[in-house]
Amino acid sequence: MDANRWRIPKGSQPGMRVDGLIFSSAELIGDVISGGGPKQVANVAALPGIVGASMAMPDIHWGYGFPIGGVAATDVDDGGVVSPGGVGYDINCGVRMMRSNLDAGDVRPHISKLTEHLFADIPAGVGVSGPFTFSSKEMRKILACGVEHLISCGLADASDAEATESSGCLGGADADAVSPQAQKRGADQCGTLGAGNHFVEIQYVDEVYDARAAAVMGMKLGQVTVMIHSGSRGLGHQVCGDYLKSLRSAPGKYGIELPDRQLVCAPVKSSEGQQYLAAMRAAANFAWCNRQLLAVQVRKSMSQFFGARDTDARITQVYDVAHNIAKIETHTVTGRRRRLCVHRKGATRAFGPGHRELPACLRPLGQPVLIPGDMGTASYVLLGTQTAMDRTFGSACHGAGRVMSRKQAIRHAQGRRIDVELARAGITARARGRTGLAEEQPDAYKDIDAVVECVCSVGLASKVLRLIPMGVIKG
Amino acid sequence: MSGRCETFDHTADVGLSAHADSPEELLEVLAECMCDQVCPRKNVAPDSEREISVEAPDFEALTVDFLDAVLGAIQIDRFAVASVKVTGVTQTSASAELLGTDLDPRRHEILTEIKAVTYHELEALERGGQWTARVILDL
Repeated sequence: MDANRWRIPKGSQPGMRVDGLIFSSAELIGDVISGGGPKQVANVAALPGIVGASMAMPDIHWGYGFPIGGVAATDVDDGGVVSPGGVGYDINCGVRMMRSNLDAGDVRPHISKLTEHLFADIPAGVGVSGPFTFSSKEMRKILACGVEHLISCGLADASDAEATESSGCLGGADADAVSPQAQKRGADQCGTLGAGNHFVEIQYVDEVYDARAAAVMGMKLGQVTVMIHSGSRGLGHQVCGDYLKSLRSAPGKYGIELPDRQLVCAPVKSSEGQQYLAAMRAAANFAWCNRQLLAVQVRKSMSQFFGARDTDARITQVYDVAHNIAKIETHTVTGRRRRLCVHRKGATRAFGPGHRELPACLRPLGQPVLIPGDMGTASYVLLGTQTAMDRTFGSACHGAGRVMSRKQAIRHAQGRRIDVELARAGITARARGRTGLAEEQPDAYKDIDAVVECVCSVGLASKVLRLIPMGVIKG
Repeated sequence: MSGRCETFDHTADVGLSAHADSPEELLEVLAECMCDQVCPRKNVAPDSEREISVEAPDFEALTVDFLDAVLGAIQIDRFAVASVKVTGVTQTSASAELLGTDLDPRRHEILTEIKAVTYHELEALERGGQWTARVILDL
């Protein structure tokens, strides 16, 4: 269509109800096409009730059912469906960013020891439990109320919730919709990082593009920040698996034909759809609590390391976003306000200025959109725009997007020491698993600068800050 | 046992490709290969036994559900699996005995966490007397 938009016309394959629309640049589109994502964009276009287009962000890569980077909105009042494949296994995987009162110059001489200290304190890796244990009654409150419950326990404060998408609590969550197996799988995992691409990073502000927005967020050049990337852990994985199974008969019951059984779905208004949404919201609330409890541990650990009593209070949350979620939102489509089920799978909400869901201090700016890059390059803070509201149901990208499989990445790292390579670039990296750093090496990901450039060129977001990693902890 | 299972690359994840002379053997080699991705069986003593049984609308879905049940034993019930013995299988049901022991991170190496067994490009069928399957695991 133009330098940054690629259309898959309706009719390119049977069953498409709308066009496919991929946001990508000439630099990125080669990997997109070879990665199999466009076929999945076309498959998603077959979902009943889909409006606008089946979209994908520039970090698109192959996923289960939906591509990663996929955005699809279905009309709740016109037979629109909800699909667990449109959310993914890691429900409410997302990113939290906190600012500190420290400067990069203060931290750099200590970064190796600080990273080791955090690595010892933050539960990370497979099969690792956290220090927080919750009774089944408390677990139900976490699932139903999210961060609100942690406030009542003294593990969060109102400012944490205010600086979190949906205040860290999705209404309509039902603990009873989450199977006992799922609850058991997540019982000792709230406050743990997990493995794979999840991380805690100590970063610093390398570039400020929007001084006014940065000032409102309390950010300046050289300031040290902390970014946390994690999700709903085993609980969310189990919820997704449970509902992929229980919804198996729904397409037959409601006369829905699907090109991929991983896209299994049910009308939002059906009992099956409502049940899934109630469970997904509960898992999302669990994920927000997980990131909150990780933040509690980071604050405590950094406070102990620097030995300053007030450091804890000065590690302040900037924002927290979900990038694997389905939400009921109202958007204007062809001049009419419509209630939509917006699936964002590997895509970040990017509400523009003035949206009433944003906290008062951020409302004039638009929503912070947190984009983690690979551990050797950079991450970004962007702002959502009115263009995103108009074109993508208020959505933008979520990260760099993989270009290598894990095994490919391990092979690519053979004979190399990724930790040594990163250290040469001034980055201390520690991973629990023996292949963690190899799997997550910078070469395994797309160029984050190119992805962000594409999103901003299209107008879906605007740049505020660029952040450079100093210390990285992986599972 | 003449059945065999090997892994193959898939973007961000890993796939299992298996061949066997019977559906019992197919499910066994798939499950044991999956267990090796999470917690290698060579370090697991067959001290105790667990039973699993699943039902599904067709053999492909059954394969996913069967592997999901084995995964649940490891990742939810913390039972390290040494071997899998299928005791009964039809197109829509399967039961098995898992031999193994309580998972102890000090004794058992845990290599990865599998989020789920997926339906993507799923294949599980009998062709010319040979049973084959391809399953992708979300890591």
